[in-house]
Amino acid sequence: MMTDVEKKKFTYYPGCSSQGSARHLDESLRAIAPELGLELEELDDWNCCGASVGHVAGGSLPNLSLTGRNLANAAKQGKQDVLTGCAACYLNTHAGNEKIKKDVALRGRVNEALAAADTSYDDDLQVRHACEVIVNEVGLDKIRERVTNPLTGLKVASYVGCQTVRPFANTDGGGSYDTYDDPEFLDNFTQACGAEAVDFEVKTACCGGSVSVMNPEKTLHLIKRILDAAKASDADVIATPCPLCQTNVEMYQDAINKEFGTDFNIPVVFYSQLMAVAFGLDKEKAAALQRNTIRSEKLENMAKA
Amino acid sequence: MSERKPGVYLCRGCGIGDAVSVDELEKVASSEFKVPTCRQHDVMCSSEGVAMIARDVADGTVNQAIIGACSQRVMTDRFQFGDTQVVRANLREQVVWSQPAGEEDTQMLAADNIRMGIAQAAKINAPVAAVHEDFSRTILVVGGGVAGLNAAREAARTGYDVILLERTDRLGGWAIQWSKRMPHRPPYRDLQENDVGLLVAEVEADDAIRVLTNATVSKTEGGPGKFTVTISHGGTEQIERIGAIVVATGWRPYDPNNLTHLGYGASPDVVTGVELESILAAGAAKRKSDDQPVRNIAFIQCAGSRDPNHLPYCSSICCGVSIKQALQVVQNDPDASAYIIFDELRTPGTAEEFYRQAQEAGVIFMKGKVNSVEGDLTVTYHDDLIGEDIPLMGLDMVVLATGMVPNSTNPDQPDPEKGAEQLLNDIDPRAPLDFVSEAAEPETVEAQLTTELPTTSDAGASPIGGGSILNLQYRQGPHIPILADGFSDSHYICFPYETRRTGIYTCGPVRRPMDMAETAEDAAGAVLKAIQSLNNASQGAAVHPRVGDLSFPKFGLDICTKCRRCTVECPFGAIDEDENDFPILTESRCRRCGTCMGACPVRTISFDNYNVAMVSDMIKAVEVPDEFDEKPRILVLACENDAYPALDMAGVNRHQYSPYIRTIPVRCLGSVSMLWISTALESGFDGIMLMGCKSGDDYQCHFVKGSGIAKERMSKVGETLKSMMLEEDRIVVEEVSIADSGSIPKVINTFAERIEELGYNPFKGF
Amino acid sequence: MTQAVPEQSKKKYDLGFARWVYDNIDGGDKLSMCMQCGACSGSCPIGVQMDHGPRKLFMMIRAGMKEAVLSSNTLWNCTKCYRCVVRCPRGVPVTYILGSLGTKAVELGYADKEDTRSFARSFWWSAATFGRTDERLVTARYYFSFGLVEGIKKGLANLKIALGMVKTGRMHIGAPHKIKDTRGLQAILAKAQEIESRAGKG
Repeated sequence: MMTDVEKKKFTYYPGCSSQGSARHLDESLRAIAPELGLELEELDDWNCCGASVGHVAGGSLPNLSLTGRNLANAAKQGKQDVLTGCAACYLNTHAGNEKIKKDVALRGRVNEALAAADTSYDDDLQVRHACEVIVNEVGLDKIRERVTNPLTGLKVASYVGCQTVRPFANTDGGGSYDTYDDPEFLDNFTQACGAEAVDFEVKTACCGGSVSVMNPEKTLHLIKRILDAAKASDADVIATPCPLCQTNVEMYQDAINKEFGTDFNIPVVFYSQLMAVAFGLDKEKAAALQRNTIRSEKLENMAKA
Repeated sequence: MSERKPGVYLCRGCGIGDAVSVDELEKVASSEFKVPTCRQHDVMCSSEGVAMIARDVADGTVNQAIIGACSQRVMTDRFQFGDTQVVRANLREQVVWSQPAGEEDTQMLAADNIRMGIAQAAKINAPVAAVHEDFSRTILVVGGGVAGLNAAREAARTGYDVILLERTDRLGGWAIQWSKRMPHRPPYRDLQENDVGLLVAEVEADDAIRVLTNATVSKTEGGPGKFTVTISHGGTEQIERIGAIVVATGWRPYDPNNLTHLGYGASPDVVTGVELESILAAGAAKRKSDDQPVRNIAFIQCAGSRDPNHLPYCSSICCGVSIKQALQVVQNDPDASAYIIFDELRTPGTAEEFYRQAQEAGVIFMKGKVNSVEGDLTVTYHDDLIGEDIPLMGLDMVVLATGMVPNSTNPDQPDPEKGAEQLLNDIDPRAPLDFVSEAAEPETVEAQLTTELPTTSDAGASPIGGGSILNLQYRQGPHIPILADGFSDSHYICFPYETRRTGIYTCGPVRRPMDMAETAEDAAGAVLKAIQSLNNASQGAAVHPRVGDLSFPKFGLDICTKCRRCTVECPFGAIDEDENDFPILTESRCRRCGTCMGACPVRTISFDNYNVAMVSDMIKAVEVPDEFDEKPRILVLACENDAYPALDMAGVNRHQYSPYIRTIPVRCLGSVSMLWISTALESGFDGIMLMGCKSGDDYQCHFVKGSGIAKERMSKVGETLKSMMLEEDRIVVEEVSIADSGSIPKVINTFAERIEELGYNPFKGF
Repeated sequence: MTQAVPEQSKKKYDLGFARWVYDNIDGGDKLSMCMQCGACSGSCPIGVQMDHGPRKLFMMIRAGMKEAVLSSNTLWNCTKCYRCVVRCPRGVPVTYILGSLGTKAVELGYADKEDTRSFARSFWWSAATFGRTDERLVTARYYFSFGLVEGIKKGLANLKIALGMVKTGRMHIGAPHKIKDTRGLQAILAKAQEIESRAGKG
C-alpha cells in the first residue's frame, strides 16, 4: 500500500487501440493513475503486440518477436513492472514474456531475431494488467478515499469479459487476484465508486472478440446476450475493462436491433471513466465521456467538472 | 445338564423402564414361570448390574442367566459369566425402540419376549466341543504360480509348514515369462522388473516349504485340521496330513482360435497379449512374419471378453497389460506409435496413473468397437467419439487383449469317473433341488449352461470338464463348486477366499481375474483364513460366519430313515454317507448353519444349544390372544446374519411397525424346520414370515444355499396349507439385507394388513 | 464441411498426423493428455457454430484425419475466450493449440479462402509496416480483399459506425501512426521469419 507521497512507477504500454477505438481507456487511465498512486512512464517506441491474429499471417516466431522488442525496450527503461490496460496486449505480452523466460532455446531464437536491430531481452521483467495492479497494489480502500463525487444511484452492469481474467487471473504469475467463473473485481470497483453493481450473471460471457470484427454475423447473438442481461437488470451503463468488448458491445447495438427487433441503446463505459468521474475529475479531459458513441446522460450529469 | 437354576434379569435402562412396566414383566417370570430369582436394574450392563448377576452365579443361586435388555448382538463381552449359559430377550431394539411407549400391545410384546427367553433356557444346553488332538499345522498350497508362491511364503513366514504342489515341472506359472511388470509401487507410473524369479528362489530356499513339481492331488479326505491328502508325484503316491488347503491353480489364456472375426489366424502378425509378451521378453517388438521392427501397433481390448459368445465377464487386467505393452513399444523405439482401441477402459485405482503415463508417452486411446481386421492388418473400428468408422492403416502388428479362464479344473486330465455331473449341477443356481422357480425356465438355464461358457481347445469339449483339482472324497463329489462363469463359488462380499468346502481357500485368478500385485495380497488373505480355519478346527470351533461356535449337529440314527436330504442339502458337503447309508458328519467341515436340521423330516438332527424342540417350545410359550381380542399374532423367523440385524437397525433408527409380530432369531432360514410352521399354526399364529438373506445365483445368504432351500420348502407347503383350509399367503419368505432397516417396517406392516384381510387362524383356541 | 480444398491429393487418414501435431504444434505435447471429457466443447460460446468442437477435433487428430482437421472452420471460429483453457481438467491449452493449428493450416495452404486469413494479412501488413495497427486501414484493406464491389458494400454497411468513431475521435484521420524505428522492426521480423523456416517451431 502506498502513501500519498510515494508513487509506484510502471512502464506503461498503451497498445494500438489507445490511438483509435479505445482512446478513452488510455485517457481515463492516465488521468486516474496519479490519484491511485501510480506513475505511468510510457514504453519507449512501443509496437503492436500482435493481438489475436498476428501469428496467423506473421508466423509464430515473428509474432513473438513483436513482444520481444517491446520487452527489450522496457528493460532499457528500468526494472519496474510493465503495465497495460488492454486485455489483448496483456495476454500477448505476459504470455510471451513467460514463454521467453521459461524456454531457454526459445529465448535464444527471439534474441537472435532482435539482434537484427541491435537489441536483446535478457531481463526478468513482470508484465501486469492495470486491474490486477489496482487490486493488488492500490486496494479498494484507496479508491474509496479518492472518491469525492460518489456515483450514487448509477446502476452499473459490471461486464468483465474474457481475456482480462482468463487465463491468468488465478495464476501466481498473473497476480492471483480473482477467479474465473465469478470474478468480483469489477463489481468492487463499481461499488467503491459509490455506484450500484447490479446483478449481472453473464459477466464473463464472450463478446466474440476479433471474430466480431471480422464476421459479426457469427457473433451478434453473443453480444445480444450481454445486452439482454444488462437491460433485465435495469442497468444505466455497462462497465468493462477491455477495449474490444467496449467497442463490440457499443458499436453493434444498431445491427442487433435490426436483426432481432430490439431497441438497445445502452452506454458502454470503461471502469477508469467511472473512476475519473467519481474522483471529481473533468468529464472530458479526464473521463473522456465525449468519446462514447452512446452517451450516458445520467453519468455525465453526475460529473462535477 | 444337572438341575437348571434360571435367573431372570430385567434392565430398565435405554428407555425400557419408561416404555413398559418392568414390574409386570417380572411378574411374568416369577408368577407364570415360577422363576425363583428375578432382579431388575437401571443399567444392567454397568459394572454394578453385571456384578449383581455375577454374585448369583458365584454363590450357586443361578446357573442360567436370562437377560431381558438390549439385543443379543450387543454387550456380549459384558454379559459373560464363565460357562454359565446366557439367554437374551430383546426388550430394547425390537420392543421399546420400535413400539409406542405405554401401550398395551407394547407390554404384551415385551412379556412374550421374556416368555420365549425362559422357554429357551429350559431347553438349551452348553455345547461340548468335538476336539481332535492330532491336528495338522501343515498348509497345502496347490499351484506354483504367483498366487501359490506368495501363499507358501506367507504361510512359512507365519510359522507354518507348507507343501507346495505344482503340476508342471517348474515354478513361476505364467508370470515368470513376462518381460516386465505393471507398476505396483508409487508413483505407479513406471514399468517394473519382473521379480517372479526372485520369489521362486526365495520359496525354494525356504526350509519350511516343501516343493513338489510334476505333482497333483489324487485324493482328499477328512476336514480342516485333519485332511488326509494323497499326492501323486513322479509316479509315486504319498499321503500327507494337512491342516488347511489353499487352491492357487491360476488361469489359462482364452483360446484365440475362437477370434477369427478379429483377424486371428489371418496373419501371423495378429497376436494375443500373451504372445506379444514372449516377443517382448526376447527383446524389442518384431513382426513374426518378417522379423521387421514393429513401428505401428494397435491393441484391441475386450477381445473375446464381455461377449456372450465368448467369455461373458471382464478380466480386469487386460487394459493394464495393453497399456504396459504399448509403453514398452514406444519407449523402446521413439519412432513407434501405439493405438489402444477400447470400449470401456478399465484402469482401477493406481492404474489411473499408469494410464496417464501412457498418454504422456504419446500412446493414443480410441474408443469404439472393432468392425474388422484385414489380412493386411488394417483395423476398422467405429469411433464413438467422432461418430465415424475409422480405418487404421499401415499397422505392423495387431494385438488381441484376451481374457483369463480360471483353472477350476485340471485341463490336463480327463473328467473323473464320478462326480463330474455334480460340478455341472452345482453351477445351476437351483441345484441340487428340482423345483421350478418363477424366475427361470429350465430350458433357459440349460441354454445358458451351453452357450455362456467358453470352449477352450486345451480342455476338451467343455471347460467345466477336466480333472478335479483336489479329488474330494466327499459324498457331494470331487470338485470345489464353481459359478456359471467357471470361477469358484464364494460369498464374495463377506468371505471372498472361502469356497463351499470348509478349510479350502482359493486365491488369485482361479477365483477372479487379477494382476500380480492383487494376487500377492489375495494369497496372504487366503493363508490367513487357512490358518484361522485349522486353528479353530483344533479347538472344535467353527470358522465363518459363526466364528468360535463349538456346537455341531448330532444325528439320532435310531430314527433316521436314510432319506439323504441332509447329505444332499448341506451347502458345504460336510456330511457323507457311511457304508450303511447313514449320514456321517465331519465336524470340522461343518459351518453350523443347521440346514441339515431343517431338512430332516423326522427331526432327528439337533445342536446342543439350538434344536427343533427348543424353538418349538419358544413358539408355544407365546401367549396368543383369542380372536375376540382382535390382536393377531405373526411369527417372524429372522436369520441372524441379515434379518435380525436389520430389525435391530430399524429399532436403532426408531422406525415403528406392527406390534403383533413375535420374532425368533434363527441361524439360517435353511435351519427352519417344518415342525415350527405347524406348531405355530396349531398355537394360533395367524401368519408366519421367514425373513432372511437373498437367494439365487447372486445370493447373499451367508450359508450360500440356506435361504434358497427354505424358499423351496415353503413353496411346497402350499399344498399342505390348502388341505388344512388355510390360505397359502399366511406363510411368506421375505428377502432382506442389513441395509433394509428403512423398508422393513413396510414389509412387516404390509404382511400384517394382509393377515387382517385373511382373518384369524381358525385353529386359534383349539 | 470443408471450406478450402487443397490442391494436392492427400490421404483422408494419415496415422502419422497425431505425432506431428504433438511435436510441432504449440501446446501439442499437452494434447496427448486429453481424456475426451468434452468440457472444452461444452464451454465454448461459439462451439455449435464450429464444424467440430475442440474435443472432437482432438479425437480426429488422433485418428489421423489431417485433411478434415486442417480444413475445418473450428480453427477460425474460435473467439479466444480461453474458457476451455481454464476449465480443462487435464490442463490442455486448447486455445493455443487451435491458434497454432490455424497458423499451420495457413502455411500448408488449407485456409486460402478463410476470412480470418484475409483479415490477418491486412493486420500483419499494418503491424509490420508501421509497427502499429491502424484500425481504419486494416479494416479497409480487409473489406477490399473481397473485391471492389464487396468492399464498397461492407464499407457502406458500416458507415454509421465509422462516422460515429470519427465524430468521437476514435478513428484516426491522417497519416497512420508509426514507430520511430520501423526499419529496425522490419529487420527483426525478417530475421525471425528466417529462423522459423529453418527451425520449424517458433
